[in-house]
Amino acid sequence: MKNLFLALFLFASASAFSQTAYEKTMTDKIAQVQQQKTADEFTALANDFKRIGDKEKTQWLPYYYAAFATIQKGRLAMRDGKTADLDPIAAEAQKSLDMAMSLNADNAENYILQKMIHGLKMMVNPQERFMSEGMLAAEALSKAEKLDAQNPRISLMKAEDIYYTPEQFGGSKAKGLETFQKSLDQYKTYKAKSAIDPNWGQDEAEYFLANKP
Amino acid sequence: MQTFIISKLLALFGIILSCSLTAQITVAGKVNFKNKGVKDISVTLKDTYDGATTDESGAFTFETSEKGNLILVFSNPKFVEIEKAVTIDNQPVTVNVDLKEQISEIDAVVISAGSIEASDRKRATVLLTPIDIYTTAGANGQVTSALETLPGVQKVGETEGLFVRGGTGSETKFFMDGNLVNNFFGNSVPGLKAMDRLNTSLFKGNVFSSGGYSALYGQALSSVLVLESIDFPEMNSVDIGISPIFLSAGFQNVDDAKTKSFGISAAYSNLGLVTEILKFNTDFIKAPRSIGTNFNFRIKNKMGGILKYYGSFDENTLGIQEESLEPETDYSQTSLKGTNTFHNLSFKQKFGNYLLNIGSSYSYNRNLIGLNDIFENAEFNANSIDSKGNYFNSKATVERKINRISAVRGGIEFNKTREETVVALSPLNYRFDEQITSLFAETDLGFSNDFSAKVGLRTEHSAALDRWNLAPRAALAYRISKKWTSSLAYGIFYQNPENQFIGKYPLNFQRAEHYILQVQKSEEGRSLRLEAFYKNYRDLIKTRLEDYRPVAISNNGDGFAQGIEFFWRDKKSLKNIDYWVSYSFLDSKRNFQNYDRSLFPNFAAKHTLSVVAKKFVVDWKTGFNISYSYASGRPYYNFMTDTNGDYYLNNQGKAKDFSALNFSMNYLPFLGRKDAKSFTVLVLSVNNILAQKNNYGYNFSNDGLRSRPILPSADTFVFIGAFISFGIDRTQDAIDGNL
Repeated sequence: MKNLFLALFLFASASAFSQTAYEKTMTDKIAQVQQQKTADEFTALANDFKRIGDKEKTQWLPYYYAAFATIQKGRLAMRDGKTADLDPIAAEAQKSLDMAMSLNADNAENYILQKMIHGLKMMVNPQERFMSEGMLAAEALSKAEKLDAQNPRISLMKAEDIYYTPEQFGGSKAKGLETFQKSLDQYKTYKAKSAIDPNWGQDEAEYFLANKP
Repeated sequence: MQTFIISKLLALFGIILSCSLTAQITVAGKVNFKNKGVKDISVTLKDTYDGATTDESGAFTFETSEKGNLILVFSNPKFVEIEKAVTIDNQPVTVNVDLKEQISEIDAVVISAGSIEASDRKRATVLLTPIDIYTTAGANGQVTSALETLPGVQKVGETEGLFVRGGTGSETKFFMDGNLVNNFFGNSVPGLKAMDRLNTSLFKGNVFSSGGYSALYGQALSSVLVLESIDFPEMNSVDIGISPIFLSAGFQNVDDAKTKSFGISAAYSNLGLVTEILKFNTDFIKAPRSIGTNFNFRIKNKMGGILKYYGSFDENTLGIQEESLEPETDYSQTSLKGTNTFHNLSFKQKFGNYLLNIGSSYSYNRNLIGLNDIFENAEFNANSIDSKGNYFNSKATVERKINRISAVRGGIEFNKTREETVVALSPLNYRFDEQITSLFAETDLGFSNDFSAKVGLRTEHSAALDRWNLAPRAALAYRISKKWTSSLAYGIFYQNPENQFIGKYPLNFQRAEHYILQVQKSEEGRSLRLEAFYKNYRDLIKTRLEDYRPVAISNNGDGFAQGIEFFWRDKKSLKNIDYWVSYSFLDSKRNFQNYDRSLFPNFAAKHTLSVVAKKFVVDWKTGFNISYSYASGRPYYNFMTDTNGDYYLNNQGKAKDFSALNFSMNYLPFLGRKDAKSFTVLVLSVNNILAQKNNYGYNFSNDGLRSRPILPSADTFVFIGAFISFGIDRTQDAIDGNL
């Protein structure tokens, strides 16, 4: 009896311990996503997440964050005008996202990343690709919206697009800020499913609202 | 006892815990490729969270508490993954590895000698996409006119056809989804250039080869233009085009899954109004008119195979009058009625490692030309030429991938031609039948991402000539550095004597040998190409006038063409401006057809320069495009015949240099408007805005004593049009959300 108890105790603590290790490592790494500044740092971080994903096998979040870190690297390249790098980066992100999607198919968060990947690809040549990639991006975002209408990251994506679209094309800074505000309001009520579920974006909405033109 | 157990257990826990906390072993090392450290390699201790990513120098280091025999994995998409066994106990571990390059389609060097590619497949050399063509001033939205702004293509204004590197217009062949397109240009009369028959927007990409092209294509001594039609339209749409010279309407339907689509469109054009308003050099007694319609459908099967059909019918008429150079004749008049139908069916599917591509095309073309002279208001010398041509082409190609970047492909092609010409004044009807059967095989060999080769062989049998030919072709590409690549191409090309010259004499294939050397630099937003070529012509036909008709009597002609070409495109240096410059130098001599000696061909210019620039001003929703083209003066010749029918050179000279500045503007009034129901483009274009007086050469009277310049039909041409598209979809959302 005592042995059984001991065995149970050890088993329980072991599994509890490993659960914590996963969560602890993930929490550490997730915190880093927002702090990275260089492409190499994002690459290293995406590799770290992939490693965790390969070990855990049933968890979609490590692959989700691997894709997210890669997308962030792409956005960095986009800001620096290195559009030739975007296709390979998008392909790399897509690989991780496909893994995440295969583990958790109908999840709005994955579709939000899918939208961002199409956005990166479109920026390689907007004039030519907006008909294909632009429409796929819009499609991905509307799928996300169907799955989780209140997700503040959906509003954040829309706000970014509207903010940066010239007025001639139907966007405006003012309309963009309205949508950032909507997103911020959603962040205040939206609860992430767990401590390690996606929870990013509030800073960005706040940043835009604080730096009104 | 119990406390003892617990304390023992705690101690045990403590030991385990402290072990795992203190016994962090450092794993470090260096990852090299070709003796140089590489960054961004993911180093993973298999089935653990532990690992690191290499830095600039290829070094990595991480700590782990794992013990025992483990596997270290080195991975990065650009390299072959490596696994290395390691034993970890109490000592720091050092592991160094050398990587092998992962050969991939994206990184592999592309053979580009002689070819200019604009499809999405090989991104590095993307040039002249449909949007580029529509926004090139002076191109009138036509593929072939836009290609005239690229190096190697001659600006020939009086005859249709692509004249490439000292080749005649008939030395360039056109293909749609692999199948031959006969009568690529609309029907016309000598001195007037006809437009492309196929609409630019049908195609997603094109490969234009100015020499050294693949063994998949044949019967073209100079060049091929391979057009690839779009797979599925993006959306349902209704399109309308309105202009003083034409009206067009069409619709396109596609299902949501993009597995089925069909479309139909029709167009009517009439130059009548414009010939009244603008000053034309050509005196039209009947303004060019045409009416045409086309259909298409596409079906995708469950296995991803795509069946595509495109078919068209059109009819055009025109009549011109010229002052006659002959005595006792005031005018000569020419009228034309052209009828054409073209059908193209193609099917493409993957079966495992194999890709099957089969297709057929059929064209029927009829040209009815009426001729008569006028003297003191009376018609005389009436004649007519009625020519009908039936052309059938079919082709099957099978391709097998060998590894990531190597492939073999082979296939068979079959061409059947039947032409019949009836000349009212001649008792003899002219008939021509031909059947060409071709076999071809080609292999792409990728030795590494930096070195690849293409080796091909083609053989053709012509029933009319009753002969076989054998044409080997080869090309190499080598990447010199990250931005620079070089490529080299060689090939033998055969073409039958032009059908209209075939008579009773036994003939052989005409032959050209191409040597091409290219260096190319491509970087973000900019590309530079330098190409040198040498083309050797043999067995060109020589003609003689027999029964009022030039007839090929032998293959004793020959010639050469050599030159240097320069191309520079830059989308980066000037903000929001995309421009390109091309320059070609050509040196050529030919003794063929009616030439009685070696001469610089009258369809070629020694120096050709073209500059194209475009700018889109977002605030005005308007694009401004200009282009300038220059060609040094072409030679002209007057050949006359002796009593034997043999030609001799009676007179020669040189036309003056050609130059034209073209301008076009496109205004998109509803761009980005959320409530817009339609997408509208308004176009204004002016060709030769400075009204330069250009001429292409001279026509001579029968006795060679009088001549008249060959002029463009209008010096300056103005086009205004509106293109409206009613998309039945969410395109507008896409624009709003994503630009």
